[in-house]
Amino acid sequence: MSAALAAEGLRYELGGRAILDQVQLQVRPGEVLALIGPNGAGKTTLLRALARLLRPLGGTVSLDGRDVWRMRPRPVARQLALAPQGAELWPLSVEQFVGLGRAPHRGWLLPLGPDDRAAVQAALERTGMAPLRERPVTELSGGEQRRAILARALAQVPQVLLLDEPTAALDLKYQVAILGLARQLAHADDLSVVITLHDLNQAAGVADRLALLSNGRVLAIGTPDEVLTAELIGATYGVPVSVCRHPLDGTPLITPIREMR
Amino acid sequence: MIGRLRLRPAIWAPALALGLVVAATLSLGVGAVWLAPDQVARALLTPHSPDATATVVTIVWDLRLARVLLAALVGAGLASAGAAFQGMFRTPLADPFMIGASGGAALGATLAILGKVNLGSATVPAAAFMGAMLAVMTVYGITLASGANSATALLLAGAALSTILSAVVSLLMLMNDRAIQEIFAWLLGGFSGRSWPQLAMSGPPILVGLGMLWLLARPLDALTSGEETARSLGLPLNVARGAIVAAASLVTAAAVAASGLIGFIGLAAPHIARLFCGSSHARLIPASALVGALLLLIADSVARTAIAPTELPVGVLTALLGGPFFLWMLGWGGSR
Repeated sequence: MSAALAAEGLRYELGGRAILDQVQLQVRPGEVLALIGPNGAGKTTLLRALARLLRPLGGTVSLDGRDVWRMRPRPVARQLALAPQGAELWPLSVEQFVGLGRAPHRGWLLPLGPDDRAAVQAALERTGMAPLRERPVTELSGGEQRRAILARALAQVPQVLLLDEPTAALDLKYQVAILGLARQLAHADDLSVVITLHDLNQAAGVADRLALLSNGRVLAIGTPDEVLTAELIGATYGVPVSVCRHPLDGTPLITPIREMR
Repeated sequence: MIGRLRLRPAIWAPALALGLVVAATLSLGVGAVWLAPDQVARALLTPHSPDATATVVTIVWDLRLARVLLAALVGAGLASAGAAFQGMFRTPLADPFMIGASGGAALGATLAILGKVNLGSATVPAAAFMGAMLAVMTVYGITLASGANSATALLLAGAALSTILSAVVSLLMLMNDRAIQEIFAWLLGGFSGRSWPQLAMSGPPILVGLGMLWLLARPLDALTSGEETARSLGLPLNVARGAIVAAASLVTAAAVAASGLIGFIGLAAPHIARLFCGSSHARLIPASALVGALLLLIADSVARTAIAPTELPVGVLTALLGGPFFLWMLGWGGSR
């Protein structure tokens, strides 16, 4: 089976410094791929390049085998959705805001139809936002805003979902809920989910595979067991760590080694 | 933040339309000759019946109706253009003149008044229209050519060009002091002496631009979430922004050509409309248009009567009455 989303030799520079350097990765339908790495490693830049928001200086991003820069923006947006980390907000109601996710399907000039409203409803329910549908998004809490942004991406009914730090500003309950939803979307709905996370233990829990980035390069890509080793993480982040096992599911659990109290 | 009273379109749309009809009827009745609403209604609805006096019919149809319609259309146009720019630039401070339309119109009108350009019988309005469109196209062209193609770049280029153009207008006024009065009266804006020819000239472009802006409601909604989000939803940014600028500027240029520079309606009407219809442009554009029409109709009626027989410039009145009202609405004057 061909990869749903693939990056080949991606290169990007800013002020002479390489932000992305020969980045190579594939995401298959039905899997969650987490992008991890220290601050400034290029996670968000890579996500923007994958979302066709940033044109790489070299290399290609392809969606089901087609170069995204040879496609019009709207067909891309029918297959690929991005839930950005920070969003500028305007006092649209949650329902109107999520309804924007239907534009790639409905077009920009026609009013939403019954199938659009059904998709919006489904997205609101999946993110637990249905009770807040009438509220202006500017009056939501930070966590509710993150869920509204995710709901808008889901309303696009994409095959590839890109999530930029989806758990930032969420309390424990919604961290669990959002990461659980990401897994469900991949495993039950067969989406390709790419997710940037700075919390390595969240990444270990949610991802089928991890890509470790540092200075714009992919240092390692593989299962949590292959990537989350004490040597690799310690060297990349510059902090000695110890790796043990999650008591319930056996995934790696990273603990920084610090002086005893 | 402003208190919110959300109403359904089924309530506010008929209420505003009714308000508009009432205001128009009253406005048709005020002036040098005062007419009761029932006289106005009879003259409007049954001008050929024996009950309608010929003078009343002439006053309503030949002297006042075109002016009233023009004031309503100009108000609707400026308000919807303001709403579109506030959404596109993501700032509550935006008004229709943000990217050079007023400076261009002022220069065009000034040159026409000074006899430097001649565009036929309606030379001042035509020159104002061309000036406004040319200025906006220049600003847009500079922004496109510079490569820094963002809403912020558009705003900055607009501010720069507006400053240059108004400096040129000031210079021309200084050098031609006999025409200062006429130029100044035009700059202040108003409907004095406007009738069917001005309505025939400015009405159609205002209606076309208004329709385009309403059609662009969803792209406007997407742009309020930021340019990057709009792009990730597949919006072709340049096409959408170009269409919004074109539609808003068509409306603004046609409005300015008809009535000079009338400030404040384009800034305030969208804020008033948001109080009851929310911020989604599918509702905000028509609601702003109705509010703007109503406000300018009322302002023009007051301008005609407050110090009769002299007319006040409507632009001065909208600022004098609208400014304090707007401050109060923002919550600085009353309880919060």
